[in-house]
Amino acid sequence: MKPLKLCIALLIITFSVKAQSDKYITAMQKGMALIDSASTPEQFTTAANFFERVAAAEPKQWLPQYYAGFCNLHVAILGKQSNDTKDALYDKAMSYAEKADALKPANSEILVLEGYITFMKMSVFSQQRAMTMIPKANALLDKASAIDPENPRAYLVKGQDTFYTPEAFGGGKANAKGLLATAADKYKNQKVAGFEPAWGAHRCQVLLQQCN
Amino acid sequence: MKRYIYLILFILTSISAFAQTRITGTVKTSTGKTIPGVNITLVNTYDGASTDTTGKFSFSTTETGSHLLHYATVGFKPDSVTVNLDGKPLTLTLTIKEAISELNAVTITAGTIETGDAKKGSVLSSIDIATTAGAVADIVAALQTLPGTSQAFSENGLFVRGGSAAETRTYFDGMLVKNPFGSQLPDLSSRSRFSPFLFKGTTFSSGGYSAQYGQALSSALLLESKDLAEKTSTEFSILTVGFGAAHTERFENSSLTIGGVYYNLHPDYSVFKQNVNWDKAPIEKTGNIQYKWKPSKTSILKVFSQYSNNDVSLFADNPDTAATIHVIDHNKSSYTNVTYQDYLNADWRIQAGASYSNTRESGKLDSNAFRKNDNLLQGRFTLTRYVGQRSLIRAGAEAYKNGALEGWNNQSRSFNDNLQAAFTEAEIFFCDDVVARIGGRTEHSSYLADWNLAPRTSLAVKTGTHSQVSMAYGIFYQNPDDTYLLQSHQLGYERATHYLLNYQYLTNGLTFRAEVFYKKYADLTKYDYDGFPKTYAVNNFSNLFNGGDGYAKGIDIFWRDKQSIPGGDYYISYSYLDTKRDFRNYPIQATPPFAAKHTLNVVYKQYIPAIKSELSTAYAFSSGRTYYNPNNPDFLSDKTKAYNNLSMNLSYLTRLFKQFAVVYASVNNIPGFNNIYGYNYSPDGSNRQPVYPAAKRNYLFGLLVTIGDNTFNH
Repeated sequence: MKPLKLCIALLIITFSVKAQSDKYITAMQKGMALIDSASTPEQFTTAANFFERVAAAEPKQWLPQYYAGFCNLHVAILGKQSNDTKDALYDKAMSYAEKADALKPANSEILVLEGYITFMKMSVFSQQRAMTMIPKANALLDKASAIDPENPRAYLVKGQDTFYTPEAFGGGKANAKGLLATAADKYKNQKVAGFEPAWGAHRCQVLLQQCN
Repeated sequence: MKRYIYLILFILTSISAFAQTRITGTVKTSTGKTIPGVNITLVNTYDGASTDTTGKFSFSTTETGSHLLHYATVGFKPDSVTVNLDGKPLTLTLTIKEAISELNAVTITAGTIETGDAKKGSVLSSIDIATTAGAVADIVAALQTLPGTSQAFSENGLFVRGGSAAETRTYFDGMLVKNPFGSQLPDLSSRSRFSPFLFKGTTFSSGGYSAQYGQALSSALLLESKDLAEKTSTEFSILTVGFGAAHTERFENSSLTIGGVYYNLHPDYSVFKQNVNWDKAPIEKTGNIQYKWKPSKTSILKVFSQYSNNDVSLFADNPDTAATIHVIDHNKSSYTNVTYQDYLNADWRIQAGASYSNTRESGKLDSNAFRKNDNLLQGRFTLTRYVGQRSLIRAGAEAYKNGALEGWNNQSRSFNDNLQAAFTEAEIFFCDDVVARIGGRTEHSSYLADWNLAPRTSLAVKTGTHSQVSMAYGIFYQNPDDTYLLQSHQLGYERATHYLLNYQYLTNGLTFRAEVFYKKYADLTKYDYDGFPKTYAVNNFSNLFNGGDGYAKGIDIFWRDKQSIPGGDYYISYSYLDTKRDFRNYPIQATPPFAAKHTLNVVYKQYIPAIKSELSTAYAFSSGRTYYNPNNPDFLSDKTKAYNNLSMNLSYLTRLFKQFAVVYASVNNIPGFNNIYGYNYSPDGSNRQPVYPAAKRNYLFGLLVTIGDNTFNH
């Protein structure tokens, strides 16, 4: 009798764990689909909210935290909110990136995201923030490249930052082109595992064309 | 039998999983405005939804029983409600409250102007300070464009609301700096010792400041040094007056910067005409070290040490004899500051610090040798307890060991004082719109052999989304100037009482501030002396006592607009000051020479993309100052003509050998106004000499190159 009881109990546990992980995979698939089809700030809000819910329910997984940060970043980039709201969104995005970082320290992708958020936050009040926040963003991106030299997003974000920085400050299309070309090369060889970040190849091509 | 129980249990669980509850609803503010993009979450599940553009949401869940439904979006306070899920559809109307943002939050602003990079309410950023036209990267000169200050003419220091230079004290990371300026030379003011690039933020308080700061009757200037340097880099600067270099090394959790400057004004002075008869133009050699260590996310240790050596000699006017006085001055100063702070947890923060400064000035006035040494050792400890969302209680203690020596040929005199202070204050948010700060400070000075007790209080009330009114009251004590303490053991604390009322309107692009103030002085130091004592010399005073008094009242206005001109930014500050005081050897209450009735500053900065340059223009106006005329029986009733100055400064951003570089050109007093600071009279009044600025017009050209920091290049 006893072995049977144990067996059934184990079966139930296994089943529920399996159900739980299936649920997570299904949710991540749904979330990735939301990001793939998002182009407006409203659609990114929906995706951000979705990942925030998954992140809250799965406090041990870094990817929902990462994408919650990524989506909030894009809500602010694409939206026409007041500077205050943009600032709050970037702060929120950063807090998710930091949570992801705590779960998976020294990860190249998370550092790229943090660098990206830092640069965008700088741009809200560039006059006051450029002096301190551009070096900070660059330090994060350099660290990301050092950890994984093959990560195309580190070069894309750096190239993009350069693209939008005035020439007088060492930015501009000519300076961005090299970085974006490196990024494009690395996108060709990028290997994507599961739900790990793979965004940016299209963006890279768009910017690269504008450089010509 | 038991096996069937598991089976039944399993089937039941599965069935219940299919009993769905549909939840729909709307999210609105208390005024009925619908909010889109709100995240609705059934806590601990994946279930939830976002509100659409009309504030509506709907979703289904297979959960049952009592659950928490959480709703949140940026700019609003997160909230939650409990829902009971039993398969019946639920319709909810949720109310969401606007959150208080940093910019909109009520803060105590009476008397306080913050500058810095991190805070949104900041009036000036550190780059603003460095690039203000006419200020040539001198913090104090840049602050003189803010309301509440008078232009310093020929005397060192920051003159705030009718206060003398000694009444403004500078604090470096909370530690008092005894000598923030170089030597006082005859009728010439010197620069402040610290580079603006050392600091991430500056709080300039023109009255009513916190109980944390003592020993300042009029004003506290709080400098907050930068955190860890981001990157390893090397900087070079070449100016028409000298050159400098600094190297920063960034380690994992720490950074070290070593730098130095050498300035020699001789080449500059030989090209551009000077009103001063220089024997040897000033030479400055300064070296400093900054070490920052961040052992954890919440803590930081900062060490700063600077040594500076200055030499100068000149021939000063001497109306007494119609000849000149040969003045030679050597000044060696060192300053070291170590501070540590840590948030022990969400509720507690500790700050501790120690500093030591030592200045040795020696020189000659003709054949007479003089020397002035002073030193200050300070320790400080502060404990802060956070209560609730934003309220806090703070308490701390300080100990100062202050000493000075003054020598004239073979004679010398000195004094030592041990001062202990304790302070406590509470910042209480009664609600989102009202904050009060109540505190006090007590000090004991061994040399004065006396205690003091200084209550401080302020209150701020929000009057609109962007506006607030705040007020402050406080009593401020300061030991008499070292010069007086060296000559008398009988003196006591000088005292000022401040009353301030401030209105502020602040958005991201606009700042408007208006502040009325009344300041009452008591127990100012008085003495007997014939004529007007010279600030740079060793003077002998007799009958020193705390018999002086006075008042200052007025209004300060500040307007800054960062949004109306593309790439441009301007501010206007105006101060009206009515002040009289009886101190030093004044026979009656009179308006001192350092106080101007009207002061106006207009600063305008424009980035010009076509020439990759930032142009900064500053205009300063100051109504006539009083001067002492022995021929006039009405003491200090003569006034100079008004002062005008228009300065410009152009920063051209470029790259040199692929490194980021700034080419810098600065000219002050472009129109060549003939400004007169005052007059020096011979004792019998028969002869007078006007005091002019050191040069009618100043020029400065420079080049700054940064290597390795790819801040601006990749």
